[in-house]
Amino acid sequence: MTDHRRLDELLRAQEGDAGCSASEDILDAYVELELAGKDPAHMFPGTAIHLQSCPGCRADHDGLLEAARRFGDLKLQ
Amino acid sequence: MSVGDAPTPATGSAVDLDSRQWLAQLRTKHPQHEHAVAMLHDMLLRVARHELSRRRAQLRWISGPELDDLAHQSADDALVNVLRRLDEFRGLSRFTTWAYKFAVFEVSSKVARHAWRRQPPDAGELASDRLPDSLAPRPGDRLEQRERLAALAAAIGELTARQRKVFVAIALNDVSIDVLALELGSNRNAIYKNLFDARRNVRAKMAAAGHAVTEQDAIG
Repeated sequence: MTDHRRLDELLRAQEGDAGCSASEDILDAYVELELAGKDPAHMFPGTAIHLQSCPGCRADHDGLLEAARRFGDLKLQ
Repeated sequence: MSVGDAPTPATGSAVDLDSRQWLAQLRTKHPQHEHAVAMLHDMLLRVARHELSRRRAQLRWISGPELDDLAHQSADDALVNVLRRLDEFRGLSRFTTWAYKFAVFEVSSKVARHAWRRQPPDAGELASDRLPDSLAPRPGDRLEQRERLAALAAAIGELTARQRKVFVAIALNDVSIDVLALELGSNRNAIYKNLFDARRNVRAKMAAAGHAVTEQDAIG
């Protein structure tokens, strides 16, 4: 990775970032759009920006995406 | 930062059939209530176990039984949250995905608490102004690059004490944002805001010193 790109990532602070609370609020809807093959950034641009910059929310997102993919089809019997 | 994304809630008929069944049967007066609660708990436990295994690297010192106990605690707490918030389900996703979110959040929070108790960030991780090895200037670096890194170090030095502590810990020393929040008696949202402001200020100061990180910074 170039020095410039490393710096750009280190200092990532993009306008429109939804922040943690707002992103957590819609995280379920966000991952379902991903599972449906749609672009969640279209409906939730602020969360898409946020997930690029916040390591905590990104880890939660990755966990939820995997859980929904693995266990999403379980139905109430 | 913005005020967040505003989703459009699904109308009653747009909520899928499975989700509606979950919502109905989880109501305390429904004859299948206990069965539905048991099933939900079983699913939350699966998610919690899976999420804990995904984050296993952060809990290397925890034994198998202790880890399973943590999974049960996470599933129990997630279940309480889901049942308390049933009226908040807006149908933006399947009910199960919405419920799993609480299990993931519980695991996330409990893993951070364990990590913090076991290994809180040391003073060096919060206060060091040394650039990480990947960014520190090397003998062969060009003058321009060395000047840029010097500008970065100077900009970090001009941050407020709080912003500097958060930036140094998370961006330079890879301290977990949740562990830092616990250490500082704060929460993820507030720490992230500190980090965001710190990053923006460092960018602006570097641009003002003639070392814009991107062309956009130079224009702005």
